[in-house]
Amino acid sequence: MPKQAPIPPRTFQDLVFALKRYWAEQGCVILEPYDLEMGAGTFHAATFLRAVGPEPWSAAYVQPSRRPTDGRYGENPFRLQHYFQFQVVLKPSPDDIIERYLGSLRALGFDPLTHDIRLVEDNWESPTLGAWGLGWEIWLNGMEITQFTYFQQVGGLDCRPVMGEITYGLERLAMYLQGVDSAYDLVWSDGPLGRVTYGDIYHQNEVEQSKYNFEQADTADLFRRFESHETECKRLLELGLALPAYEQMLKGSHTFNLLDARRAISVTERQRYILRVRGLARGVAEAYYQSRESLGFPMVSSKP
Amino acid sequence: MRARDFLVEIGTEELPPGSLAALSAAFAEGLVSGLAGASLTHGDIEPFATPRRLALVVKRLAARQADQKLTRKGPPVTAAFDANGQPTRAALAFAESCGVQLDQLGRVEEPKGVFLHYSGVKPGLPAAEVLPGLVQQALDRLPIARRMRWGTGAAEFVRPVHWVVMLHGQQVIDCTLFGIRAGDRSRGHRFHAPGEFKVTPTTYESRLETVGKVVPSATRRRKLILDGVSALAAELGGTALLPGDLLDEVTALVEWPVPVAGRFEESFLRLPEEVVIATVRDHQRYFPVRDSEGRLTSHFITVSNIDSRDPTQVRAGNERVVRPRLSDAAFFWDGDLKRSLAERREELAAVTYHRKLGSQLQRTHRVEALAEQLASATGADPALARRAAELAKCDLLTAMVGEFPELQGTMGRYYAAAAGEPAEVACALEEQYLPRFAGDRLPATPLGCSLALADRLDTLVGIFAAGEKPSGTKDPYGLRRAALGLLRILIELRIEVDLVALIDTALSAVRADMRRGEASADVVVTTGTFRALPDTDPVAAEVYDYIMERLRGYYAENAPAFSSDMLDAVLARRPVSPLDLDTRLHALSAFVALPEAASLTAANKRIANLLRKAEDDIPPRVDASLLEDPAERALAIALEGLRPEVEALLEARRYDAALRRLASLRPAVDAFFDGVMVMAESAALRRNRLGLLAIIERLFVRVGDLSRLQA
Repeated sequence: MPKQAPIPPRTFQDLVFALKRYWAEQGCVILEPYDLEMGAGTFHAATFLRAVGPEPWSAAYVQPSRRPTDGRYGENPFRLQHYFQFQVVLKPSPDDIIERYLGSLRALGFDPLTHDIRLVEDNWESPTLGAWGLGWEIWLNGMEITQFTYFQQVGGLDCRPVMGEITYGLERLAMYLQGVDSAYDLVWSDGPLGRVTYGDIYHQNEVEQSKYNFEQADTADLFRRFESHETECKRLLELGLALPAYEQMLKGSHTFNLLDARRAISVTERQRYILRVRGLARGVAEAYYQSRESLGFPMVSSKP
Repeated sequence: MRARDFLVEIGTEELPPGSLAALSAAFAEGLVSGLAGASLTHGDIEPFATPRRLALVVKRLAARQADQKLTRKGPPVTAAFDANGQPTRAALAFAESCGVQLDQLGRVEEPKGVFLHYSGVKPGLPAAEVLPGLVQQALDRLPIARRMRWGTGAAEFVRPVHWVVMLHGQQVIDCTLFGIRAGDRSRGHRFHAPGEFKVTPTTYESRLETVGKVVPSATRRRKLILDGVSALAAELGGTALLPGDLLDEVTALVEWPVPVAGRFEESFLRLPEEVVIATVRDHQRYFPVRDSEGRLTSHFITVSNIDSRDPTQVRAGNERVVRPRLSDAAFFWDGDLKRSLAERREELAAVTYHRKLGSQLQRTHRVEALAEQLASATGADPALARRAAELAKCDLLTAMVGEFPELQGTMGRYYAAAAGEPAEVACALEEQYLPRFAGDRLPATPLGCSLALADRLDTLVGIFAAGEKPSGTKDPYGLRRAALGLLRILIELRIEVDLVALIDTALSAVRADMRRGEASADVVVTTGTFRALPDTDPVAAEVYDYIMERLRGYYAENAPAFSSDMLDAVLARRPVSPLDLDTRLHALSAFVALPEAASLTAANKRIANLLRKAEDDIPPRVDASLLEDPAERALAIALEGLRPEVEALLEARRYDAALRRLASLRPAVDAFFDGVMVMAESAALRRNRLGLLAIIERLFVRVGDLSRLQA
């Protein structure tokens, strides 16, 4: 039966629907965003923690991502301190993972014999997560639209089996699909109740949050909060409470990002803070591994 | 069986473009050395490398290893048989270890007696049995910075492996690599020809191209890109900028290169061309295009990996990507221009150069003093040299250099010119970083030289003083490059300096800043005496030796005629000027080529030995009345005859002419050593003769210590 050529998603939300549908058909658990501030979809427990240990796991979700230093007061058309990633993780990484990814581009209407799709080396390393992997950025006619990584280590632990991580930059992809030059001009939805743009929803947020990040965040308080999240994380780790400890680490990490945006941390000090967060991430990864181990790695048997 | 061509192909996910060429070369070398070690003869080896495969075709590879002739010596016959002529255990064990019956062993007669002897042939193994191990070994030894795992497997490689082809002639080599069974099927282009198809060693390249839509040879692909991009640029009425490293990278990014031309807005051409080039080249791997007058145009050429059904979409997409990038660059440029370079100078105080060496501003102050001092040597205006040094690091604080670190210096030039600084100063800001790599151009102006030299001196001396001299392959501050750059500028641009004095000056400035740093860092100042500094700072000699040691590599590459022992001979004098050292080396290498050289070198060694062992006080002058022997008298006369002239030549640094004159002493020196007993019984005669020899040594040694030359 000849398949009809897919219709490219017209709106931002259609793009999200299309990706969710595609990856659900591939067998992924479709999750919701993690409800804490984080710099990227990698920080979601569904990636960072599920990459640890032998249990298979495949999931996809949107993650709002915050990078305080990237704020531009809503004046730059494509730099935002709050944006969206669409994250897919497949563990163990299937042999045809690249084919599956390319399938998602086809589902969005990108014919790889029309568009020049390229895998260009880009290795990933997160000093704060004690994690690294090898992979590519994926180019669509010269534009980077996706990060693709085979995780090798997370929280200092070897990934066995390996998790494959696919991260789409939703704004970029949508801008390409909609042919607009500013993220704020993206059509988010266009239905019977009218048309709403990305700018309608998020422009004020960019302006005000940039002010907060760069000018108003109370650095003395942030320093105190960093200390307390760190202390709390360590205390929880001693109790073997990996998941609550992980949230404290996430809060500490975001607090550090805010301090960084306020330029409150010198270059040499910066490295020390990164090492402190990394220490927590390592502790969490180990605690999570132990807790799953004590449960007998329950998802190992669920593999079809 | 005859020799047949061999093919191995490892099919992978996209390999890192930066290391593809190195991986391919190492794979070929590894297999060649493996084949040699396994005594498998073969013809040429041809490497193939694309983003998704590493392959080798070995021509006329032998069907099996050559048979090996084996000989072994056993126990002496006397120990092999007992009194009754029965074989001993030793004899039987030897026969067994050779895999034969005792009566099949021969005898060999040697001076020590007669021994049991085995000679036989170890038949070579079929190539098919040996090849998998050799291929595996070559792959295991590839220079891969970080190997990765994928899926559930334990295999490790650069990127996941999907197929393996291994064929000797038509025969599939039965083996498993990376958990994959080798076969005779390759795969083509990821999008144009994703299916499997049969290949053979002789048809590999053509089948990949016709069936697979892949140009497997990197050399051929590079040529196709070069020609294709050049032709497209010509159609646009210009020429493409095709730097070798970008060509290599693009070659490693595509299997089926198709050049596509695009354009950006003309208005971006108001930016410095280096900025436009860096934007389109570094971020996007595009080739910029110049017009017939050499001006940068708004055209660029990208090389796509597909023969697109709709190339306009590829072009439009690429144009969309470059626009925001250039807008960003324009934003940086306009923002940076709102403040002059000089206004940024004080901000350097807030930037740490090195924990122990203070801020970038402190470093700038040190370089200012050095650049001004060097001006007399380079022929620059001292005031301008100081000005250039004042501004030298200010562009590091601009947004543009923050985004494009490789434009440091270049942006300094533009921003200085925009602020109305003298043209020489602007130019020097760029030239301070020259040479950036081996073989790079040198600063073209005296001011640029002053700044480049001052910057490198401060770096070398500072990092050594901070206790971070390079060790092994670790050289995070690029001191090797700094030292080589310094030497190249001094030698190749013929700049005369007293390097020892310069190091001392630079070091005392660095030490002063280090003390200031320590004083401000310590809250508690201990009372009592200050630790006295040693008279001579040991770091000064370390830096001197480190810089001069770099000459070994420099000359090995640029002037192989200057052997290492010649350098030793000259370095023994610890010359203060690298240029002077270079002049001496030229003289020495010319001297070594003279027919007199061997004998005079030997004489110098002999003189050095005699003088070293002599216990007498050696008189500064020769007493003519004590010259008994005609040969020593002749030598003294010859020496006196040419000494004033040689000294004048040495004074004028005409070392070459001086050595040529000294070479004329050879017959007299030879006759002296033939006929005269230096270590005579008479102390007076002995001392006089040693004094005569000392004069000769003193003359030669002013060029170099000839006793260090290899005979």
